[in-house]
Amino acid sequence: MDTPAMLQLLRDPMGVPFYPAVFQILMVLTFALHLLFVNLSLGTTCLAVIGRLKGGDRWGRLAGGMAQAATASVSGAILLGVAPLLFVQVIYDPFWYASSNLSAGWAIGFIFILMAGYGSLYLARDRKGDAGSVFAGFSFAMFLSAGFIMHVLGFQLVQPEKWLGWYTSHGAASTAGTVLHDFSLPRFLHFVVPAFAVTGVFLMLYSWYFRARSDADAAQLEWAGRLGAKMAFHATTIEAVTGFLWLMVLPRDLSFHSHPLFVLGLILGLGLLGYLYHAQKQAKDHHRFAWPAAAGMLVVILEMAAAREALRVRYLARFGYAISDHRLNLDWGSTALFFGSFVPCLVVLAYILAVAFQSGRVAGLWEAGPRMKAWGKASIALLVAWLVIVAGLGLAITLRNRGL
Amino acid sequence: MYPVWEVPGLTAGGVLALIATFHILPSHLSVSAMWLNLYLESKAYRENRPELLAFVRKYSRMLLIFAYVFGSITGVGIWFSASAAAPRALSGLIHNYVWGWATEWCFFLIEVAGIFTYYYTFDKVDRKTHLRIGWIFALGSWTTMVVIVGILTFMLTPGRWLVTGGFFDGFFNQTYWPQLFLRTTGMFAIAASYAVAVASRSEDERTRADVIRIASLWGLAGLALGTACFFWYRASLPEAARATFDVLLTPGLTRGMWVPIVLMAAYFAFLRLRPLTVGFTPALFAIAVLFVSIFSFERARELIRKPYLMPGFMYSNQIIGGELPAKGVAAETAAMNEKGILRFAPFVPDGLRVVTDANRLEAGRMVALIECSACHTLSPQGLRPLPQRVGSLGFTDADSLAGFIDGLGSYPYMPPFVGTEMEKKALAAYLISIAK
Repeated sequence: MDTPAMLQLLRDPMGVPFYPAVFQILMVLTFALHLLFVNLSLGTTCLAVIGRLKGGDRWGRLAGGMAQAATASVSGAILLGVAPLLFVQVIYDPFWYASSNLSAGWAIGFIFILMAGYGSLYLARDRKGDAGSVFAGFSFAMFLSAGFIMHVLGFQLVQPEKWLGWYTSHGAASTAGTVLHDFSLPRFLHFVVPAFAVTGVFLMLYSWYFRARSDADAAQLEWAGRLGAKMAFHATTIEAVTGFLWLMVLPRDLSFHSHPLFVLGLILGLGLLGYLYHAQKQAKDHHRFAWPAAAGMLVVILEMAAAREALRVRYLARFGYAISDHRLNLDWGSTALFFGSFVPCLVVLAYILAVAFQSGRVAGLWEAGPRMKAWGKASIALLVAWLVIVAGLGLAITLRNRGL
Repeated sequence: MYPVWEVPGLTAGGVLALIATFHILPSHLSVSAMWLNLYLESKAYRENRPELLAFVRKYSRMLLIFAYVFGSITGVGIWFSASAAAPRALSGLIHNYVWGWATEWCFFLIEVAGIFTYYYTFDKVDRKTHLRIGWIFALGSWTTMVVIVGILTFMLTPGRWLVTGGFFDGFFNQTYWPQLFLRTTGMFAIAASYAVAVASRSEDERTRADVIRIASLWGLAGLALGTACFFWYRASLPEAARATFDVLLTPGLTRGMWVPIVLMAAYFAFLRLRPLTVGFTPALFAIAVLFVSIFSFERARELIRKPYLMPGFMYSNQIIGGELPAKGVAAETAAMNEKGILRFAPFVPDGLRVVTDANRLEAGRMVALIECSACHTLSPQGLRPLPQRVGSLGFTDADSLAGFIDGLGSYPYMPPFVGTEMEKKALAAYLISIAK
């Protein structure tokens, strides 16, 4: 059985309930946001380790803040990782299942590694000094390992021509799932290095955000902003190098260097690098560059995610696989359910984040103004309305189907 | 059809079961805890009792860490282990219910942002805003259950979906409402058992007594209503599923479901009267007792779908045995019987695609991996081990066993053998070779 025939056989026969391109766009979008939080988790955890090791007031306070930020970042990374994991199974089902099953022991191990790392992070958050650094260091090692496993699964995924060889050993099926079959160091580094660039920009935002508080320590925030600007610039420089290294090890026939999304990524990446160079050269007030740097970083991450997807499409086109070949079984009802839930949920989510954002910027008790009160009540009303509508729909369908 | 993952002493399905049942502890807590919190927080404000608020804060901290470290990650773990155990079934579920999962994810966004903001804004925001965040979390969190129950129950009782292929026909199936109410009422018993454990460490005697009394009442109500909903659920099952349930339900599982319920009812009733008598360790033990009941129920619930993963459509070994004309899907069994499972399945070593005298045992093992290993270990240790199962049947030669394999489909909980005559004989020869 050749590879294209195998892929066709593995493709789910039930088709997809909406246009595959929509799932692809959602996958890229959510994957980019997931990566942003993964980067933030790695970077803030690493700073927590360094801060605890260095000790002293300045680093000690930063380490505490970073450990706290890391706990929220990891949750964000998990939350935002669920969505692309879902969408990848819709449009790339043969690849995801085959790749993860070939190394199933590691795929399951990923869960326990992540849990150990995350649990340890809470211990790091509540402890200072050596104990704090040990727990944070353990978390960092676990998160790196988890990232490496995901990297391997993603890399095995685009090499279906090798799957059967990996699965077969001495003429029999090799079912232990304990082998990570292939990895690419430049590709992995391209995942890891941005952690420090993203965290650098996060520190600039941190410096900007807390400056508004009446109890803020201006010198500490100035120091954190400068540290962030330097980190962001240097890490982005290294990231550019790893990007070129990765490009050089890609299969020649993919000709990715001439792909428009690669070229666009290169231009945007260099533009961001130039801006970060300018920002870190300033003697003070690095927080003034925080928002443009954050916006630029977000654009570059989104673009890179799109470029990675374009690369995957080229990889898989070699085997005659295209997501548009999925059988389309349009289901307007469930599509409406999703988009009809997504929009109100964003309104509610924005309210929660607005409360968190505004209350964190004042030193004492924060009291909601009339607009925030109304937004809060509307958020609850939206959730109740959703439940009433869905319950009504459910009852109507249950009654209709009764006895059929 | 995908590479098989063999787990020594267990099966990939066993790993899935362990992770999924553990996940119930934090996930049901996350859905239920905030309702108790809202009640207690409002009471604390109304009666101006800061020490009660201190309990709410501790309980929220436990919720944040336990539910959103271990709960979130084991939730992802269910997907990973389902990928390993039954990738085709998971794929089928996702290709039908992707928008359902995505909808649940929207509310998951609210849940996670909500719990972090709720926990970190105690005494930071005005009381009404704090309670509003709590209400949003409680509603958003419960809505994830409203969505998930539709997808879970579809996998066991797909209802009209088998005819129409329609999302909502499968979602609002005959067991949807009873199971939603069963989980909704049962979750209060779970919230209560955790609350007792957290409260048992409170140094303030009045707080400890008040919280434990209130939690006990919630616990008793949850157990009573949950039990009633269980019988509603059982009555809503299709006739065939109920028969399978009754045949396969072992006395151990039955006891596992009911004994802990009785014990927990006695525990809550006792604590209602003597709230200060419980320590932290017995309270943790009580959570474990409740978990035994949940675990037994979930295992029993899984029995219903045998011999299928998707009833009427996909067998336990992920071979599509039913038609789904609404989505243009035909059964695979005829093609597999004609061509041979070893030629049909992609992940088969080239030397085993055709059965010969030289490779008979290896080919038979490959057939067993594809058709049997989802439920049975091929080694003597572990879940439903084939060596013992075959040994207990008493066959001593491959031909007689092949005849038995021919009739597998007549057992209500076994999928039929699929493949050529040669493959059946190879399987029989292999099974005889490992029989104990």
